[in-house]
Amino acid sequence: MPQKVLAALMIALVSLSIAVPAWAHHSFAAAYDTSKTFEVKGTINRVRLTNPHSWFFLDVKDAAGKVTEWAFEAGTPSGMIRNGYKASEMKSGTPVTIQGRPAKDPTAKVGMLVTLTTGEGKVYKMFGPEENAAR
Amino acid sequence: MRTILITFTIAAATALAIQWSAPITAIGQQRGATPAAPPAAAAPAAPAEPAPKMADGRPDLSGVWWTGGDVGGRGYRGGQLVTFNSLYKPEVTEAAKKLSDRNDPTLKCVPTALGTLNVHMFDVGAVGQIVATPKFVVMLTETFHGYRIIPTDGRKHREEVPPSYRGDAVGHWEGDVFVVETKNFTDDTWMSAEGRVSPHSDELRLVERYRRVDKNTLEIEATVYDPKVLTGPWTVPKKSLVLAPFDQIMPLICSGVETQALMDAAATQPAK
Repeated sequence: MPQKVLAALMIALVSLSIAVPAWAHHSFAAAYDTSKTFEVKGTINRVRLTNPHSWFFLDVKDAAGKVTEWAFEAGTPSGMIRNGYKASEMKSGTPVTIQGRPAKDPTAKVGMLVTLTTGEGKVYKMFGPEENAAR
Repeated sequence: MRTILITFTIAAATALAIQWSAPITAIGQQRGATPAAPPAAAAPAAPAEPAPKMADGRPDLSGVWWTGGDVGGRGYRGGQLVTFNSLYKPEVTEAAKKLSDRNDPTLKCVPTALGTLNVHMFDVGAVGQIVATPKFVVMLTETFHGYRIIPTDGRKHREEVPPSYRGDAVGHWEGDVFVVETKNFTDDTWMSAEGRVSPHSDELRLVERYRRVDKNTLEIEATVYDPKVLTGPWTVPKKSLVLAPFDQIMPLICSGVETQALMDAAATQPAK
C-alpha cells in the first residue's frame, strides 16, 4: 500500500529555515512557499527551455490511475545548459522525481523546482546538474 | 499503515532537507562581490595578456563577457547589488509602494533599462556579447535577444526613432575608454529585474564607460541620470567582467506569458 501511494503522488511538507538563494530570482517568493518542500513522482510530459525561466511539465498518476499535470519552474535555460543540462536526457515519458517548493495556492499544480532525479539517479537542480559545482 | 507512511515520508523529506541545506549554504558563501583570494602558497599568476587592438589602434572590446559563470553555476559572481532606492523622489517612492516583485516586467519578457546586475550589456541574465566593427560596437544580450548598435563615428542621437526599452545609444572613445551615452527610453519598464521595484522615466539617461583592461578583463562604470524620478545622479559601482570560455551567446526564446500565468496560478492573490 505505501509503495502504491508513493509511486502515485507523495507530498511531504517539511518546514525549512532555508531562504531562497538571492539568485533564485523574480517572483519566486510571491508565488511559492519557500519554507516548505514537497515531492512528486511522475513522467516528463514536456520541457520548455524558455526565458525568463524554464518549465518542466509532469504527468502524475494517482492511485486510481487519474493523470494530473504538474508544472515546475526552473532556472534560465542558458545557465542550465551551460551547467550541463542535456535535453536528450529529458524526453517525454522519462520517469522523474521532483522535489520542489509548493505553490502558495495549495490547489495549484505548480511548484518551484529544487531537484529533479531521473530513474537512473541523475540529479538536476534548478540551474542544471552542475549548479554551483566547485570551482 | 498510514502512520508508517507519514513517518517514512517525514523522515525521507527531512533527510533530503539536510542534504539540500549544505549546497545552498555553500552557494551563499560563494556569492561574494569579489573573487575569493588565491591560496597563499599558489604560484604567482602569469602576466595578463594585453587587450587586443582594432585596426585603428583602439582596444577591441569583442567577446562574450560574464561575471565568471552562469547564474547558479560555478564561477558566478553576481555579488550583493547596490541599488539606488534612496535616490528616488518621495512621490516616486510612494507610487512604487503599489508595485511588487509580481509586477516585474521581465516576467512578460519586457526588457529592463539598465540590467539585472547593473550591467546594461546584460539586460536580464549575466551573459552578453560585444561585436566590435570599425563603425559600430554591437552589444548583444542573451535573455531577450536584445541588441544595441552603438555608432562610433561621431554621429548624434537619432531624432526620429521612437522611445524604446533599451534606448538609443551613441559612443565615442576617450583614450582607451569607450564611452556610451544612451537615452530615449520608454517610461513603462524598470531599471532592473529580479523583483526589484525600480521604475524610471522617459528622461532616463545612461553614461557608461567600458575599458578592456587586458585580454580577459572588461571594466564597466556607469552613471544614471533621471531627473524626473531621482534626486540626483546615481553612480553605479564599477563592475569587472571576465571573458567567457565560449565565443557565442545562445539563441533563446522568451515565453513570459506562460511564466506569468503559471506563477500567478501559484500565488494566492491575483496579480495586480
